Amino acid sequence: MRKHRSNRVIGALTFLLLGVGLVVIYAIGSQRANFMNSAYGTDYNQNFFFIHQLISVGLSVGAFILAFKFPYAKLRKLSKVLILLAFLTCGLLMLLSVAGSSLASCQLGACRWINLGTFSIQPAEFLKLALILYLAQLISQHKEAGTFETRDFFIPFAIVSAISLFFVIIAQKDLGTGVCIIAIIIAMLLVSGVKLRNFVVVLAVIAGFGVLSILVSPHRLERLMTFSGDGDASSSYHIDNAMMAIGTGGIFGVGVGNSVQATGYLPESINDSVFAVMGETFGFVGLLIVIACFTILLLQLLKISGGLPGEQSLIVIGVFAWVAAHVVVNIAAMTGLIPLTGITLPLLSYGGTSMIFISYGLGLSTQLSCYTGREVRNESISSRRGVGRTHHASRRRSA
Amino acid sequence: MSRIKLLRYGLLIAVGIIAVRLFVIQIFQHDEWVARAEAEHTSQNTIIAKRGEIYMMEGDEPVPVVLNKAGWMVIVDPKVANEEKTERAISEIAGDKVVAKWEDVFKDKTRRYYVVARNVEREQVKKLKEKKLAGVYYQEGNSRVYPEGEMASGLLGFVNAEGKGQYGVEGSLNDQLGGKNGLLKTITDVNNVALSIGDDNVRIPAEDGKNVVLTIDRTLQRKVEKKLAEYLSTSKANHASAVVMDPRNGKVLTMATIPNYEPEKYAEVKDGNLFLNQIVDVAYEPASICKTFTFAAAVEEGVMTPETTYNNTGEITVDGWPIKNAHSGQLGVISMQTALNYSLNTGSMTALMLLGGSKSEITKTGREKLFDYYYNHFGLGQATGFELSESTGLIQEPNKGYGLNSRYANMTFGQNINLTPLQVAAAFSSLINGGEYYAPTIIAGEMKDGKFVKAEEKKSVRRTVTEKTSETMRAMIWGTRGLQRLYGIDKPGYYIGGKTGTAQGIKDGAYTFDETTGSYVGFGGRDGELPEYVIMVKIWEGGQTLEGTADALPLFNLLSDTVIDHLKIKPKEQ
Repeated sequence: MRKHRSNRVIGALTFLLLGVGLVVIYAIGSQRANFMNSAYGTDYNQNFFFIHQLISVGLSVGAFILAFKFPYAKLRKLSKVLILLAFLTCGLLMLLSVAGSSLASCQLGACRWINLGTFSIQPAEFLKLALILYLAQLISQHKEAGTFETRDFFIPFAIVSAISLFFVIIAQKDLGTGVCIIAIIIAMLLVSGVKLRNFVVVLAVIAGFGVLSILVSPHRLERLMTFSGDGDASSSYHIDNAMMAIGTGGIFGVGVGNSVQATGYLPESINDSVFAVMGETFGFVGLLIVIACFTILLLQLLKISGGLPGEQSLIVIGVFAWVAAHVVVNIAAMTGLIPLTGITLPLLSYGGTSMIFISYGLGLSTQLSCYTGREVRNESISSRRGVGRTHHASRRRSA
Repeated sequence: MSRIKLLRYGLLIAVGIIAVRLFVIQIFQHDEWVARAEAEHTSQNTIIAKRGEIYMMEGDEPVPVVLNKAGWMVIVDPKVANEEKTERAISEIAGDKVVAKWEDVFKDKTRRYYVVARNVEREQVKKLKEKKLAGVYYQEGNSRVYPEGEMASGLLGFVNAEGKGQYGVEGSLNDQLGGKNGLLKTITDVNNVALSIGDDNVRIPAEDGKNVVLTIDRTLQRKVEKKLAEYLSTSKANHASAVVMDPRNGKVLTMATIPNYEPEKYAEVKDGNLFLNQIVDVAYEPASICKTFTFAAAVEEGVMTPETTYNNTGEITVDGWPIKNAHSGQLGVISMQTALNYSLNTGSMTALMLLGGSKSEITKTGREKLFDYYYNHFGLGQATGFELSESTGLIQEPNKGYGLNSRYANMTFGQNINLTPLQVAAAFSSLINGGEYYAPTIIAGEMKDGKFVKAEEKKSVRRTVTEKTSETMRAMIWGTRGLQRLYGIDKPGYYIGGKTGTAQGIKDGAYTFDETTGSYVGFGGRDGELPEYVIMVKIWEGGQTLEGTADALPLFNLLSDTVIDHLKIKPKEQ
């Protein structure tokens, strides 16, 4: 394994998207404050949301740099501790919510945040990162030991996956995050080279789990009903107003600060619905640019992953699945393609936890991109410094 | 590696679907979403125009007789509002303004809008708002205030709950008084707070209504109404109307109908006839008053003088029907002046014959000439050009229909013709003012920014008769009041004349003497000068016989004195 220059595209796009998110929150944050103050009698300062977002972005940049600098070799030793810590935090949240403590921040019976005074954290975001690190290590260790796809592998794999999904879907009633975790598990398992038969079995088990979860929690059925046209009013109102925001944007949008939907018509306008507000503000062209940024970012992750040895490759795939699930599920819901699930748009939505952990994941991926595990044929001396372009050019010439 | 490709293709497909979806929503369906968003975001509010006030004259100064007062409507949404709390709060604070029965309000909860109180005052609304009642809404509007109470209600009309003027000045001049409501169209946030986003905000300011100044003399109006009411209290009639005009310019000084009603409580009025302005809205047969117009036509045509004689046999047979006099005396050869004094139908029918160039029969020419004078000269049976809505009345054309001679014979003494008192008073004014017809007018001008802007003085519309004829008619009509002068009712130094009319009611399609309406039209002023006032009175009651001489004449005398006194008309020194 050789070290060369890291991938710069991921970092550039991460910071670009964080910046765009700041602009959007700057434009609509004061409207949000006005609305919250008049509707719920809160006392938000005009700059409250922007300043908080600014802090979150600062922390996210810090997380990215930390992840980039903190050697993976050291981090991997902590993976078991981290997953245990994640489970403990989730368990703590569950206990707090059952006890009715004010430390558990709940909305409509779903307790997803631990409230720490001026800020709150979402343990599920930490769980995603920890799960990726743990699963990548678990898979690669068993592959090296030759025990991959045996009972020794599947038992811890199933236990950790099941506990994660239990906390997220059942305890926190967060189907959006559940979908994301399922995407991470499936993507990592797929790329690990698991046999198709075993892969199908895992898919079947997850599908069964999904049906069960709908039976346990009827409000999910409602969301599906909303989607088919006769569900509860609030969900259909949300989707309708999200599409109205996007639709009114037209080709170039109404411009920064001119979003009307953000003045209270569109629920969660600065969090989960920020894509819709951006659609209204920046129009079709703006959204395509945002989507292109995400797509390039995700393709870069796939590209890095292809050049890495097993464990590191799987981590990057996990991060890919994490970001991809958020992007696709959020946007598809906002455009009325799939039922509504509460899930953030990475790096853009208001709210620190998701942003910070995703930044950490992307920073870690960037660190890993410095290494290449694959044998490189016809490598010229210059490419040893990691200048990819030269490397490809020489390969093309030889082909 | 191939499995990573799978992820790549999966991602690209998902992104592709989303891009297409966005294209559809943002470009194909763009207009549709914009329209829906506009409907959701735009709030339209009507800016209610201030209704114009109504003024009357007090000397040379306009004084308000109809004003505005801000008032609120309290609306309850029975589905949302708490039954007990709402009732208790509203009854407690604005109980005097409640217009609904509480048990009705909450009877039908699907009805989301129930007006429970009207004309609620600012302070009351403020207190109610402090209670923060759910499902209770307040809508501001104007209500009318009538500082003179019932006075001139039939003339002024009222404003209904929708803010629209009904009857009288309020109804006729509704467009001028009402002004034009403005419109406020803004993009608002979800709580209906206006936003500064977008350039589609519309603000059309309201155009306030005109403040109308009437020519009505407020004090005279009050005095005349008082006299009418006093007179009615001693009469078998309960209804009387009077119009006082200045014959020199057509200005209406008084327009009164008794009984009045309270315009603020118009909803409590049971008899809808009370809303009518009897002077302009109702055409009737003024009867013998019309003899003055018939004689004037004959004098103007040069076929008759007051001294012209004819043989009064008490009746004339026309088309096989004997048409009799109401007064049975004065048989034999008499003058036209005598015929007018005793209001003999044979006299006016003789004048019609003379108009047609005959001494013994009514001719086509006679009918045509009478019609020409009645309709074209005196403006009878048509709108006068008055500013308020008026009934046109009805006049028989000279060559259309059947029994024309007998109809025209009746027309000479004011039967078979429907006229409004205003038409008669205006035509009569021209008869005695030297022959100039002024369209009656009630608009003196308007109040603009607190200043009285006078309307242009009305000019004569046409000449009805020559000055000479007018002079002759003035003397002839003066001649009818020999008895009043004899008994000192008409004081020396004043020149007063007039003519009675007793209209038969119509019962089962035929004239009857069981119910009659008494009328009188007269003029007055300083002796030796042109008349300064014309008064027309009408007195009636269902099932009662009210006569020109017995009932209307004394009423005129009362009002004539009142007007002389009010206008401070000095007698000619003897």
